[in-house]
Amino acid sequence: MDGAAGDVRAPLMGGVAEKAEGALRERGMDKEYMVEVIDLHKKFGFHEVLKGVNLRVKPSEVLVIVGPSGSGKSTLLRCINGLEHATSGHIYIEGVDITDHRVNINAVRQKVGIVFQSFNLFPHLTALRNVILAPVKVRKMDAAEAEEKALQLLERVGLRDKAHAYPAHLSGGQQQRVAIARSLAMDPDLMLFDEVTSALDPELVKEVLDVMKDLARSGMTMLVVTHEMGFAREVGDRLIFMDEGEIVEEGVPVEIFTNPRSPRARDFFSKILSHL
Amino acid sequence: MNIDERWKKVFWVLGSLLAAGLVAFLVVFFLRFEAGKTFIDEFFNGNTFRKSMPYVLRGLSLTVRLAVVSEVFILAVGLIIAMARISRLRVLRVLAVIYIDVIRGMPLLLQILIVYYGLAYLGFKLDPFVAGVAALTICYAAYEAEIFRAGIESIHKGQMEAARSLGMGYLQAMRHVVLPQAIRNVIPPLSNEFIALLKDTALLSVIALAEVTRRATEMMGKYYNVTPLVCAAICYLIITLPLMRLVQYLTKRLSAGE
Ligand SMILES: Nc1ncnc2c1ncn2[C@@H]1O[C@H](COP(=O)(O)OP(=O)(O)OP(=O)(O)O)[C@@H](O)[C@H]1O
Ligand SMILES: [Mg+2]
Repeated sequence: MDGAAGDVRAPLMGGVAEKAEGALRERGMDKEYMVEVIDLHKKFGFHEVLKGVNLRVKPSEVLVIVGPSGSGKSTLLRCINGLEHATSGHIYIEGVDITDHRVNINAVRQKVGIVFQSFNLFPHLTALRNVILAPVKVRKMDAAEAEEKALQLLERVGLRDKAHAYPAHLSGGQQQRVAIARSLAMDPDLMLFDEVTSALDPELVKEVLDVMKDLARSGMTMLVVTHEMGFAREVGDRLIFMDEGEIVEEGVPVEIFTNPRSPRARDFFSKILSHL
Repeated sequence: MNIDERWKKVFWVLGSLLAAGLVAFLVVFFLRFEAGKTFIDEFFNGNTFRKSMPYVLRGLSLTVRLAVVSEVFILAVGLIIAMARISRLRVLRVLAVIYIDVIRGMPLLLQILIVYYGLAYLGFKLDPFVAGVAALTICYAAYEAEIFRAGIESIHKGQMEAARSLGMGYLQAMRHVVLPQAIRNVIPPLSNEFIALLKDTALLSVIALAEVTRRATEMMGKYYNVTPLVCAAICYLIITLPLMRLVQYLTKRLSAGE
Protein backbone atom coordinates (compact mmCIF):
# COMPACT_ATOMS: atom_id res chain seq x y z
CA MET A 1 0.00 0.00 0.00
CA ASP A 2 1.13 3.49 -0.71
CA GLY A 3 1.14 6.56 1.50
CA ALA A 4 -2.47 7.43 0.92
CA ALA A 5 -3.61 4.18 2.45
CA GLY A 6 -3.53 5.56 5.96
CA ASP A 7 -5.91 8.34 5.04
CA VAL A 8 -8.21 6.21 3.01
CA ARG A 9 -8.44 3.71 5.80
CA ALA A 10 -10.02 6.25 8.12
CA PRO A 11 -13.50 6.47 6.58
CA LEU A 12 -14.81 3.08 7.54
CA MET A 13 -13.37 3.25 11.03
CA GLY A 14 -16.04 5.76 11.95
CA GLY A 15 -15.59 9.13 13.57
CA VAL A 16 -14.12 11.44 11.00
CA ALA A 17 -15.34 9.13 8.28
CA GLU A 18 -17.41 11.35 6.04
CA LYS A 19 -15.09 14.33 6.37
CA ALA A 20 -11.99 12.37 5.42
CA GLU A 21 -13.71 10.87 2.45
CA GLY A 22 -14.93 14.26 1.30
CA ALA A 23 -11.45 15.74 1.63
CA LEU A 24 -10.04 12.98 -0.51
CA ARG A 25 -12.56 13.55 -3.23
CA GLU A 26 -11.91 17.27 -3.22
CA ARG A 27 -8.24 16.67 -3.82
CA GLY A 28 -9.31 14.60 -6.77
CA MET A 29 -7.74 11.44 -5.38
CA ASP A 30 -9.42 8.23 -6.26
CA LYS A 31 -9.04 4.99 -4.47
CA GLU A 32 -7.12 3.10 -7.05
CA TYR A 33 -8.47 -0.31 -6.17
CA MET A 34 -11.87 -1.28 -4.90
CA VAL A 35 -10.54 -4.58 -3.63
CA GLU A 36 -6.99 -5.58 -3.00
CA VAL A 37 -6.25 -9.07 -1.71
CA ILE A 38 -2.68 -9.74 -0.68
CA ASP A 39 -1.31 -13.22 -0.02
CA LEU A 40 -4.57 -14.47 1.46
CA HIS A 41 -4.45 -17.81 3.23
CA LYS A 42 -7.42 -19.54 4.77
CA LYS A 43 -7.35 -22.77 6.70
CA PHE A 44 -10.21 -24.78 8.15
CA GLY A 45 -8.36 -26.76 10.78
CA PHE A 46 -5.47 -28.36 8.89
CA HIS A 47 -7.22 -28.03 5.54
CA GLU A 48 -5.78 -25.10 3.62
CA VAL A 49 -8.51 -23.85 1.32
CA LEU A 50 -6.85 -20.64 0.09
CA LYS A 51 -3.12 -20.86 -0.50
CA GLY A 52 -1.91 -17.34 -1.06
CA VAL A 53 -4.41 -15.50 -3.23
CA ASN A 54 -3.46 -12.13 -4.72
CA LEU A 55 -6.11 -10.06 -6.42
CA ARG A 56 -6.77 -6.48 -7.43
CA VAL A 57 -10.07 -5.16 -8.64
CA LYS A 58 -10.55 -1.63 -9.93
CA PRO A 59 -13.74 0.35 -9.44
CA SER A 60 -16.43 -0.58 -11.99
CA GLU A 61 -14.58 -3.70 -12.98
CA VAL A 62 -16.46 -6.98 -13.40
CA LEU A 63 -14.29 -9.88 -12.36
CA VAL A 64 -15.50 -13.38 -13.10
CA ILE A 65 -14.19 -16.22 -10.95
CA VAL A 66 -14.39 -19.79 -12.18
CA GLY A 67 -12.96 -23.07 -11.03
CA PRO A 68 -13.89 -26.60 -10.07
CA SER A 69 -15.93 -27.42 -6.99
CA GLY A 70 -13.94 -27.06 -3.80
CA SER A 71 -11.35 -24.76 -5.32
CA GLY A 72 -12.10 -22.06 -2.76
CA LYS A 73 -14.22 -19.60 -4.76
CA SER A 74 -16.92 -19.24 -2.15
CA THR A 75 -14.37 -19.04 0.61
CA LEU A 76 -12.62 -16.19 -1.21
CA LEU A 77 -15.84 -14.20 -1.50
CA ARG A 78 -16.77 -14.94 2.09
CA CYS A 79 -13.39 -13.67 3.25
CA ILE A 80 -13.88 -10.48 1.25
CA ASN A 81 -16.93 -9.49 3.24
CA GLY A 82 -15.70 -10.89 6.51
CA LEU A 83 -18.02 -13.89 6.80
CA GLU A 84 -14.81 -15.91 7.18
CA HIS A 85 -11.68 -14.69 8.93
CA ALA A 86 -8.51 -14.81 6.90
CA THR A 87 -5.87 -17.04 8.46
CA SER A 88 -3.17 -14.72 7.14
CA GLY A 89 -2.74 -12.04 4.51
CA HIS A 90 -4.60 -8.81 3.94
CA ILE A 91 -7.83 -7.75 2.29
CA TYR A 92 -8.31 -4.08 1.52
CA ILE A 93 -11.76 -2.81 0.65
CA GLU A 94 -11.52 0.77 -0.61
CA GLY A 95 -8.22 0.99 1.20
CA VAL A 96 -9.48 -0.38 4.52
CA ASP A 97 -7.74 -3.53 5.73
CA ILE A 98 -10.66 -5.66 6.91
CA THR A 99 -8.33 -8.25 8.40
CA ASP A 100 -7.44 -5.62 10.99
CA HIS A 101 -9.62 -6.54 13.95
CA ARG A 102 -10.05 -2.88 14.92
CA VAL A 103 -12.00 -2.23 11.75
CA ASN A 104 -15.75 -2.04 12.23
CA ILE A 105 -16.76 -4.94 10.02
CA ASN A 106 -20.41 -3.93 10.05
CA ALA A 107 -19.49 -0.60 8.45
CA VAL A 108 -17.43 -2.38 5.80
CA ARG A 109 -20.23 -4.81 5.03
CA GLN A 110 -22.61 -2.00 4.25
CA LYS A 111 -20.30 -1.22 1.35
CA VAL A 112 -20.00 -4.84 0.22
CA GLY A 113 -23.13 -6.64 -0.87
CA ILE A 114 -23.19 -10.41 -1.30
CA VAL A 115 -25.75 -12.58 -3.04
CA PHE A 116 -25.80 -16.29 -2.28
CA GLN A 117 -26.62 -19.35 -4.32
CA SER A 118 -29.44 -20.18 -1.90
CA PHE A 119 -31.01 -16.67 -1.93
CA ASN A 120 -31.34 -16.56 1.86
CA LEU A 121 -34.27 -14.20 1.80
CA PHE A 122 -35.89 -13.66 5.18
CA PRO A 123 -38.94 -15.93 4.90
CA HIS A 124 -40.95 -14.15 7.59
CA LEU A 125 -40.86 -10.83 5.72
CA THR A 126 -42.41 -9.71 2.45
CA ALA A 127 -40.16 -8.83 -0.48
CA LEU A 128 -40.50 -5.16 0.39
CA ARG A 129 -39.71 -5.69 4.08
CA ASN A 130 -36.72 -7.81 3.10
CA VAL A 131 -35.36 -4.86 1.18
CA ILE A 132 -36.04 -2.15 3.76
CA LEU A 133 -34.96 -4.06 6.87
CA ALA A 134 -31.27 -3.20 6.75
CA PRO A 135 -31.62 0.44 5.64
CA VAL A 136 -34.07 1.07 8.48
CA LYS A 137 -32.32 -0.89 11.21
CA VAL A 138 -28.71 -0.29 10.27
CA ARG A 139 -28.76 3.06 8.51
CA LYS A 140 -31.65 4.34 10.64
CA MET A 141 -33.23 5.50 7.44
CA ASP A 142 -36.69 7.00 7.69
CA ALA A 143 -39.25 4.23 7.01
CA ALA A 144 -41.15 6.10 4.29
CA GLU A 145 -37.96 7.05 2.50
CA ALA A 146 -36.65 3.49 2.74
CA GLU A 147 -39.89 2.14 1.35
CA GLU A 148 -39.85 4.49 -1.59
CA LYS A 149 -36.29 3.53 -2.38
CA ALA A 150 -37.07 -0.16 -1.96
CA LEU A 151 -39.94 0.10 -4.42
CA GLN A 152 -37.60 1.73 -6.93
CA LEU A 153 -35.13 -1.10 -6.47
CA LEU A 154 -37.83 -3.72 -6.88
CA GLU A 155 -38.88 -1.90 -10.02
CA ARG A 156 -35.33 -2.09 -11.24
CA VAL A 157 -35.25 -5.87 -10.80
CA GLY A 158 -38.70 -6.10 -12.36
CA LEU A 159 -40.62 -7.06 -9.23
CA ARG A 160 -42.50 -3.99 -8.12
CA ASP A 161 -45.76 -5.90 -8.36
CA LYS A 162 -44.43 -8.57 -6.00
CA ALA A 163 -43.51 -6.11 -3.25
CA HIS A 164 -45.99 -7.58 -0.80
CA ALA A 165 -45.41 -11.23 -1.59
CA TYR A 166 -43.64 -13.51 0.85
CA PRO A 167 -40.54 -15.37 -0.40
CA ALA A 168 -42.36 -18.70 -0.28
CA HIS A 169 -44.71 -17.39 -2.95
CA LEU A 170 -41.95 -16.30 -5.33
CA SER A 171 -40.11 -18.39 -7.89
CA GLY A 172 -36.40 -18.98 -7.44
CA GLY A 173 -35.55 -16.38 -10.03
CA GLN A 174 -37.80 -13.83 -8.37
CA GLN A 175 -36.36 -14.59 -4.95
CA GLN A 176 -32.87 -14.12 -6.26
CA ARG A 177 -33.79 -10.77 -7.81
CA VAL A 178 -35.26 -9.65 -4.49
CA ALA A 179 -32.02 -10.72 -2.84
CA ILE A 180 -30.09 -8.54 -5.27
CA ALA A 181 -32.41 -5.60 -4.57
CA ARG A 182 -31.95 -6.19 -0.85
CA SER A 183 -28.18 -5.90 -1.21
CA LEU A 184 -28.46 -2.82 -3.40
CA ALA A 185 -30.61 -1.11 -0.80
CA MET A 186 -27.49 -0.49 1.28
CA ASP A 187 -25.86 1.38 -1.63
CA PRO A 188 -22.86 -0.94 -1.83
CA ASP A 189 -19.76 0.01 -3.78
CA LEU A 190 -18.97 -3.63 -4.43
CA MET A 191 -21.19 -6.62 -5.11
CA LEU A 192 -20.20 -10.26 -4.66
CA PHE A 193 -22.17 -12.96 -6.45
CA ASP A 194 -21.65 -16.60 -5.46
CA GLU A 195 -23.12 -18.92 -8.11
CA VAL A 196 -26.37 -17.03 -7.88
CA THR A 197 -27.98 -18.92 -10.78
CA SER A 198 -26.83 -22.43 -9.89
CA ALA A 199 -29.91 -23.28 -7.85
CA LEU A 200 -32.31 -22.00 -10.49
CA ASP A 201 -34.31 -23.84 -13.11
CA PRO A 202 -32.76 -23.17 -16.52
CA GLU A 203 -35.61 -20.97 -17.71
CA LEU A 204 -35.16 -18.65 -14.70
CA VAL A 205 -31.44 -18.08 -15.13
CA LYS A 206 -31.76 -15.39 -17.76
CA GLU A 207 -33.90 -13.01 -15.71
CA VAL A 208 -31.29 -12.98 -12.97
CA LEU A 209 -28.36 -12.61 -15.36
CA ASP A 210 -30.15 -9.71 -17.04
CA VAL A 211 -30.37 -7.89 -13.73
CA MET A 212 -26.67 -8.49 -13.19
CA LYS A 213 -25.79 -7.26 -16.67
CA ASP A 214 -27.79 -4.12 -16.06
CA LEU A 215 -25.94 -3.64 -12.80
CA ALA A 216 -22.57 -4.11 -14.50
CA ARG A 217 -23.50 -1.54 -17.15
CA SER A 218 -24.38 0.96 -14.43
CA GLY A 219 -20.78 0.82 -13.27
CA MET A 220 -21.02 -1.46 -10.24
CA THR A 221 -17.84 -3.22 -9.23
CA MET A 222 -18.63 -6.92 -9.24
CA LEU A 223 -16.95 -10.18 -8.29
CA VAL A 224 -18.94 -12.97 -9.88
CA VAL A 225 -18.43 -16.67 -9.23
CA THR A 226 -20.31 -18.43 -11.99
CA HIS A 227 -20.41 -21.28 -14.46
CA GLU A 228 -22.25 -19.12 -17.00
CA MET A 229 -19.59 -18.68 -19.63
CA GLY A 230 -21.90 -16.64 -21.85
CA PHE A 231 -22.24 -14.11 -19.07
CA ALA A 232 -18.50 -14.16 -18.42
CA ARG A 233 -17.75 -13.47 -22.06
CA GLU A 234 -20.32 -10.72 -22.44
CA VAL A 235 -19.96 -8.85 -19.15
CA GLY A 236 -16.68 -9.92 -17.60
CA ASP A 237 -13.77 -7.50 -17.92
CA ARG A 238 -11.43 -10.07 -16.53
CA LEU A 239 -11.58 -13.71 -15.52
CA ILE A 240 -9.61 -15.69 -12.99
CA PHE A 241 -9.45 -19.44 -12.93
CA MET A 242 -8.96 -20.95 -9.49
CA ASP A 243 -7.95 -24.45 -8.59
CA GLU A 244 -7.04 -25.92 -5.19
CA GLY A 245 -6.96 -22.57 -3.46
CA GLU A 246 -4.79 -20.78 -5.99
CA ILE A 247 -5.34 -18.47 -8.91
CA VAL A 248 -4.04 -20.48 -11.82
CA GLU A 249 -4.89 -18.18 -14.70
CA GLU A 250 -5.99 -14.64 -15.12
CA GLY A 251 -6.94 -12.61 -18.17
CA VAL A 252 -9.61 -11.59 -20.65
CA PRO A 253 -12.45 -14.14 -20.43
CA VAL A 254 -12.61 -15.14 -24.09
CA GLU A 255 -8.88 -15.65 -24.30
CA ILE A 256 -8.83 -17.87 -21.27
CA PHE A 257 -11.58 -20.17 -22.31
CA THR A 258 -10.62 -20.38 -25.93
CA ASN A 259 -6.96 -20.76 -25.19
CA PRO A 260 -6.21 -21.87 -21.62
CA ARG A 261 -2.50 -22.20 -20.99
CA SER A 262 -2.39 -24.46 -17.95
CA PRO A 263 -3.44 -28.11 -18.21
CA ARG A 264 -5.79 -27.70 -15.25
CA ALA A 265 -7.67 -24.85 -16.88
CA ARG A 266 -7.73 -26.65 -20.22
CA ASP A 267 -9.23 -29.69 -18.56
CA PHE A 268 -11.84 -27.61 -16.72
CA PHE A 269 -12.96 -25.55 -19.70
CA SER A 270 -13.11 -28.51 -22.04
CA LYS A 271 -15.53 -30.10 -19.56
CA ILE A 272 -17.84 -27.19 -18.94
CA LEU A 273 -17.83 -25.78 -22.46
CA SER A 274 -18.76 -29.15 -23.90
CA HIS A 275 -21.79 -29.00 -21.62
CA LEU A 276 -23.14 -25.87 -23.27
CA MET B 1 -60.34 -44.33 2.77
CA ASN B 2 -57.05 -46.21 2.88
CA ILE B 3 -56.09 -49.31 4.84
CA ASP B 4 -54.54 -47.37 7.73
CA GLU B 5 -57.71 -45.42 8.36
CA ARG B 6 -59.88 -48.53 8.25
CA TRP B 7 -57.69 -50.16 10.93
CA LYS B 8 -57.87 -47.02 13.00
CA LYS B 9 -61.65 -47.30 12.94
CA VAL B 10 -61.57 -50.94 13.96
CA PHE B 11 -59.31 -50.16 16.93
CA TRP B 12 -61.49 -47.27 17.88
CA VAL B 13 -64.62 -49.42 18.01
CA LEU B 14 -62.88 -52.21 19.95
CA GLY B 15 -61.41 -49.66 22.36
CA SER B 16 -64.81 -48.10 22.98
CA LEU B 17 -66.41 -51.48 23.71
CA LEU B 18 -63.63 -52.30 26.14
CA ALA B 19 -63.97 -48.97 27.92
CA ALA B 20 -67.75 -49.37 28.21
CA GLY B 21 -67.30 -52.83 29.74
CA LEU B 22 -64.81 -51.49 32.23
CA VAL B 23 -67.09 -48.67 33.31
CA ALA B 24 -70.01 -51.08 33.77
CA PHE B 25 -67.81 -53.32 35.91
CA LEU B 26 -66.65 -50.43 38.09
CA VAL B 27 -70.18 -49.13 38.62
CA VAL B 28 -71.35 -52.54 39.75
CA PHE B 29 -68.28 -52.95 41.94
CA PHE B 30 -68.62 -49.59 43.72
CA LEU B 31 -72.34 -49.74 44.27
CA ARG B 32 -72.63 -53.39 45.29
CA PHE B 33 -69.63 -54.00 47.55
CA GLU B 34 -68.49 -52.51 50.84
CA ALA B 35 -64.96 -51.61 49.62
CA GLY B 36 -66.48 -49.71 46.73
CA LYS B 37 -68.71 -47.71 49.01
CA THR B 38 -65.78 -46.73 51.20
CA PHE B 39 -63.89 -45.59 48.17
CA ILE B 40 -66.69 -43.32 47.03
CA ASP B 41 -67.13 -41.94 50.50
CA GLU B 42 -63.45 -41.11 50.77
CA PHE B 43 -62.89 -39.64 47.32
CA PHE B 44 -66.25 -38.27 46.31
CA ASN B 45 -67.87 -37.27 49.54
CA GLY B 46 -70.57 -34.79 48.55
CA ASN B 47 -70.63 -32.98 51.86
CA THR B 48 -66.88 -32.46 52.04
CA PHE B 49 -66.84 -31.48 48.42
CA ARG B 50 -69.36 -28.70 48.93
CA LYS B 51 -67.51 -27.40 51.97
CA SER B 52 -63.97 -27.51 50.59
CA MET B 53 -64.33 -26.81 46.87
CA PRO B 54 -64.87 -23.03 47.18
CA TYR B 55 -61.85 -22.70 49.46
CA VAL B 56 -59.60 -24.76 47.18
CA LEU B 57 -60.88 -23.01 44.09
CA ARG B 58 -59.86 -19.66 45.55
CA GLY B 59 -56.25 -20.90 45.49
CA LEU B 60 -56.46 -21.20 41.73
CA SER B 61 -55.87 -17.50 41.18
CA LEU B 62 -52.61 -17.72 43.15
CA THR B 63 -51.59 -20.83 41.23
CA VAL B 64 -52.18 -19.07 37.94
CA ARG B 65 -50.46 -15.88 39.09
CA LEU B 66 -47.41 -17.85 40.22
CA ALA B 67 -47.20 -19.60 36.87
CA VAL B 68 -47.75 -16.49 34.75
CA VAL B 69 -45.40 -14.21 36.67
CA SER B 70 -42.72 -16.91 36.70
CA GLU B 71 -43.16 -17.57 33.00
CA VAL B 72 -42.38 -13.93 32.17
CA PHE B 73 -39.07 -14.14 34.03
CA ILE B 74 -38.37 -17.63 32.72
CA LEU B 75 -38.70 -16.51 29.10
CA ALA B 76 -36.34 -13.58 29.65
CA VAL B 77 -33.75 -15.50 31.65
CA GLY B 78 -34.05 -18.58 29.45
CA LEU B 79 -33.39 -16.55 26.31
CA ILE B 80 -30.36 -14.88 27.89
CA ILE B 81 -28.94 -18.25 28.94
CA ALA B 82 -29.60 -19.64 25.45
CA MET B 83 -27.69 -16.72 23.93
CA ALA B 84 -24.80 -17.40 26.31
CA ARG B 85 -24.95 -21.08 25.41
CA ILE B 86 -24.40 -20.34 21.70
CA SER B 87 -22.07 -17.39 22.23
CA ARG B 88 -18.71 -17.22 20.53
CA LEU B 89 -17.16 -16.58 23.94
CA ARG B 90 -16.05 -19.83 25.51
CA VAL B 91 -16.47 -18.56 29.07
CA LEU B 92 -20.10 -17.76 28.51
CA ARG B 93 -20.73 -21.10 26.84
CA VAL B 94 -19.11 -23.02 29.68
CA LEU B 95 -20.99 -21.07 32.34
CA ALA B 96 -24.28 -21.66 30.54
CA VAL B 97 -23.65 -25.39 30.22
CA ILE B 98 -22.77 -25.66 33.91
CA TYR B 99 -25.90 -23.77 34.90
CA ILE B 100 -28.17 -25.82 32.67
CA ASP B 101 -26.74 -29.16 33.75
CA VAL B 102 -26.60 -28.44 37.47
CA ILE B 103 -30.12 -27.10 37.61
CA ARG B 104 -31.57 -29.88 35.52
CA GLY B 105 -29.78 -32.45 37.64
CA MET B 106 -31.53 -31.35 40.83
CA PRO B 107 -35.10 -31.84 42.09
CA LEU B 108 -37.22 -28.71 41.82
CA LEU B 109 -38.47 -29.28 45.35
CA LEU B 110 -34.92 -29.05 46.63
CA GLN B 111 -34.34 -25.82 44.72
CA ILE B 112 -37.46 -24.32 46.26
CA LEU B 113 -36.30 -25.26 49.76
CA ILE B 114 -32.83 -23.90 49.09
CA VAL B 115 -34.09 -20.56 47.83
CA TYR B 116 -36.60 -20.09 50.62
CA TYR B 117 -34.88 -21.56 53.68
CA GLY B 118 -31.34 -21.13 52.44
CA LEU B 119 -31.74 -17.40 52.01
CA ALA B 120 -33.63 -17.19 55.30
CA TYR B 121 -30.64 -18.69 57.09
CA LEU B 122 -28.45 -16.09 55.41
CA GLY B 123 -30.71 -13.42 56.83
CA PHE B 124 -32.76 -12.60 53.74
CA LYS B 125 -36.34 -13.26 54.63
CA LEU B 126 -38.00 -13.54 51.26
CA ASP B 127 -41.70 -13.19 50.77
CA PRO B 128 -42.90 -16.73 49.87
CA PHE B 129 -44.37 -15.47 46.59
CA VAL B 130 -41.05 -13.90 45.58
CA ALA B 131 -39.14 -17.00 46.68
CA GLY B 132 -41.55 -19.21 44.76
CA VAL B 133 -41.23 -17.19 41.58
CA ALA B 134 -37.46 -17.08 41.96
CA ALA B 135 -37.16 -20.84 42.44
CA LEU B 136 -39.42 -21.64 39.49
CA THR B 137 -37.53 -19.16 37.32
CA ILE B 138 -34.15 -20.58 38.25
CA CYS B 139 -35.31 -24.09 37.43
CA TYR B 140 -37.44 -23.61 34.35
CA ALA B 141 -35.05 -21.11 32.74
CA ALA B 142 -32.56 -23.97 32.40
CA TYR B 143 -35.07 -26.12 30.51
CA GLU B 144 -36.41 -23.31 28.36
CA ALA B 145 -32.88 -22.17 27.51
CA GLU B 146 -32.37 -25.51 25.81
CA ILE B 147 -35.61 -25.09 23.91
CA PHE B 148 -34.59 -21.61 22.76
CA ARG B 149 -31.18 -22.91 21.74
CA ALA B 150 -32.68 -25.70 19.66
CA GLY B 151 -35.07 -23.21 18.09
CA ILE B 152 -32.29 -20.80 17.17
CA GLU B 153 -30.09 -23.57 15.84
CA SER B 154 -32.92 -24.84 13.67
CA ILE B 155 -32.75 -21.63 11.64
CA HIS B 156 -30.38 -22.09 8.73
CA LYS B 157 -27.11 -20.25 9.26
CA GLY B 158 -27.54 -18.59 5.88
CA GLN B 159 -30.14 -16.35 7.55
CA MET B 160 -27.65 -15.00 10.05
CA GLU B 161 -25.06 -14.60 7.30
CA ALA B 162 -27.43 -12.76 5.00
CA ALA B 163 -28.35 -10.39 7.82
CA ARG B 164 -24.74 -9.82 8.84
CA SER B 165 -23.69 -9.27 5.24
CA LEU B 166 -26.11 -6.35 5.12
CA GLY B 167 -24.22 -4.70 7.93
CA MET B 168 -26.43 -5.75 10.83
CA GLY B 169 -24.73 -6.48 14.13
CA TYR B 170 -25.04 -9.91 15.73
CA LEU B 171 -27.76 -8.87 18.15
CA GLN B 172 -29.64 -6.93 15.48
CA ALA B 173 -29.58 -9.97 13.21
CA MET B 174 -30.78 -12.17 16.09
CA ARG B 175 -33.57 -9.80 16.96
CA HIS B 176 -34.90 -9.02 13.48
CA VAL B 177 -34.08 -12.14 11.49
CA VAL B 178 -33.32 -15.25 13.54
CA LEU B 179 -35.57 -14.96 16.59
CA PRO B 180 -38.79 -14.09 14.72
CA GLN B 181 -38.33 -17.32 12.76
CA ALA B 182 -37.25 -19.37 15.76
CA ILE B 183 -40.36 -18.33 17.70
CA ARG B 184 -42.56 -20.51 15.47
CA ASN B 185 -40.50 -23.54 16.34
CA VAL B 186 -40.39 -22.93 20.06
CA ILE B 187 -44.03 -22.06 20.72
CA PRO B 188 -45.24 -25.69 21.02
CA PRO B 189 -42.47 -26.91 23.37
CA LEU B 190 -42.64 -23.69 25.42
CA SER B 191 -46.38 -24.12 25.84
CA ASN B 192 -45.82 -27.62 27.12
CA GLU B 193 -43.29 -26.26 29.58
CA PHE B 194 -45.85 -23.73 30.73
CA ILE B 195 -48.33 -26.49 31.48
CA ALA B 196 -45.67 -28.37 33.42
CA LEU B 197 -44.84 -25.16 35.28
CA LEU B 198 -48.45 -24.62 36.20
CA LYS B 199 -48.59 -28.08 37.74
CA ASP B 200 -45.27 -27.67 39.48
CA THR B 201 -46.51 -24.64 41.39
CA ALA B 202 -48.06 -27.31 43.62
CA LEU B 203 -44.60 -27.84 45.08
CA LEU B 204 -44.72 -24.31 46.45
CA SER B 205 -47.19 -25.55 49.04
CA VAL B 206 -44.12 -26.47 51.09
CA ILE B 207 -43.31 -22.80 51.58
CA ALA B 208 -46.81 -22.00 52.81
CA LEU B 209 -48.19 -20.43 49.67
CA ALA B 210 -51.95 -20.86 49.80
CA GLU B 211 -52.29 -22.14 46.28
CA VAL B 212 -54.54 -24.97 45.21
CA THR B 213 -52.60 -27.93 46.58
CA ARG B 214 -51.83 -26.24 49.88
CA ARG B 215 -55.47 -25.41 50.43
CA ALA B 216 -56.51 -28.92 49.48
CA THR B 217 -54.17 -30.52 52.02
CA GLU B 218 -55.42 -28.10 54.68
CA MET B 219 -59.00 -29.18 54.01
CA MET B 220 -57.96 -32.81 53.99
CA GLY B 221 -56.59 -32.36 57.50
CA LYS B 222 -59.70 -30.60 58.61
CA TYR B 223 -62.29 -33.12 57.33
CA TYR B 224 -60.15 -36.29 57.54
CA ASN B 225 -61.20 -37.02 53.97
CA VAL B 226 -59.46 -37.25 50.59
CA THR B 227 -62.20 -35.46 48.66
CA PRO B 228 -60.41 -32.04 48.82
CA LEU B 229 -57.57 -33.57 46.81
CA VAL B 230 -60.08 -34.44 44.13
CA CYS B 231 -61.22 -30.82 44.29
CA ALA B 232 -57.61 -29.78 43.64
CA ALA B 233 -57.35 -32.20 40.74
CA ILE B 234 -60.45 -30.66 39.21
CA CYS B 235 -59.00 -27.16 39.66
CA TYR B 236 -55.83 -28.08 37.75
CA LEU B 237 -57.73 -29.89 35.03
CA ILE B 238 -59.98 -26.88 34.43
CA ILE B 239 -56.86 -25.04 33.30
CA THR B 240 -54.64 -27.75 31.87
CA LEU B 241 -57.10 -29.65 29.70
CA PRO B 242 -58.04 -26.66 27.51
CA LEU B 243 -54.38 -25.59 27.43
CA MET B 244 -53.28 -28.98 26.16
CA ARG B 245 -55.89 -28.82 23.42
CA LEU B 246 -54.70 -25.34 22.52
CA VAL B 247 -51.10 -26.48 22.28
CA GLN B 248 -52.11 -29.34 20.04
CA TYR B 249 -54.03 -26.97 17.81
CA LEU B 250 -51.16 -24.46 17.69
CA THR B 251 -48.65 -27.17 16.87
CA LYS B 252 -50.79 -28.35 14.00
CA ARG B 253 -51.34 -24.84 12.71
CA LEU B 254 -47.65 -23.93 12.89
CA SER B 255 -46.43 -27.05 11.15
CA ALA B 256 -49.16 -26.75 8.51
CA GLY B 257 -48.06 -23.20 7.76
CA GLU B 258 -44.76 -24.40 6.43
N1 LIG C 1 -16.82 -23.90 7.17
C1 LIG C 1 -16.00 -24.80 6.63
N2 LIG C 1 -15.38 -25.71 7.41
C2 LIG C 1 -14.56 -26.63 6.87
N3 LIG C 1 -14.27 -26.73 5.58
C3 LIG C 1 -14.85 -25.86 4.74
C4 LIG C 1 -15.74 -24.85 5.22
N4 LIG C 1 -16.15 -24.13 4.16
C5 LIG C 1 -15.57 -24.65 3.09
N5 LIG C 1 -14.77 -25.68 3.42
C6 LIG C 1 -13.94 -26.47 2.49
O1 LIG C 1 -13.19 -25.58 1.74
C7 LIG C 1 -13.04 -26.06 0.42
C8 LIG C 1 -13.40 -24.95 -0.53
O2 LIG C 1 -14.76 -24.67 -0.38
P1 LIG C 1 -15.49 -23.55 -1.23
O3 LIG C 1 -16.91 -23.60 -0.82
O4 LIG C 1 -14.76 -22.28 -1.08
O5 LIG C 1 -15.31 -24.09 -2.71
P2 LIG C 1 -16.01 -23.59 -4.01
O6 LIG C 1 -14.91 -23.32 -4.97
O7 LIG C 1 -16.94 -22.49 -3.71
O8 LIG C 1 -16.78 -24.87 -4.47
P3 LIG C 1 -18.24 -24.99 -5.13
O9 LIG C 1 -18.07 -24.77 -6.58
O10 LIG C 1 -18.63 -26.41 -4.83
O11 LIG C 1 -19.12 -24.00 -4.47
C9 LIG C 1 -13.91 -27.28 0.29
O12 LIG C 1 -13.06 -28.41 0.34
C10 LIG C 1 -14.78 -27.24 1.50
O13 LIG C 1 -15.05 -28.53 1.96
MG1 LIG D 1 -19.05 -22.29 -3.70
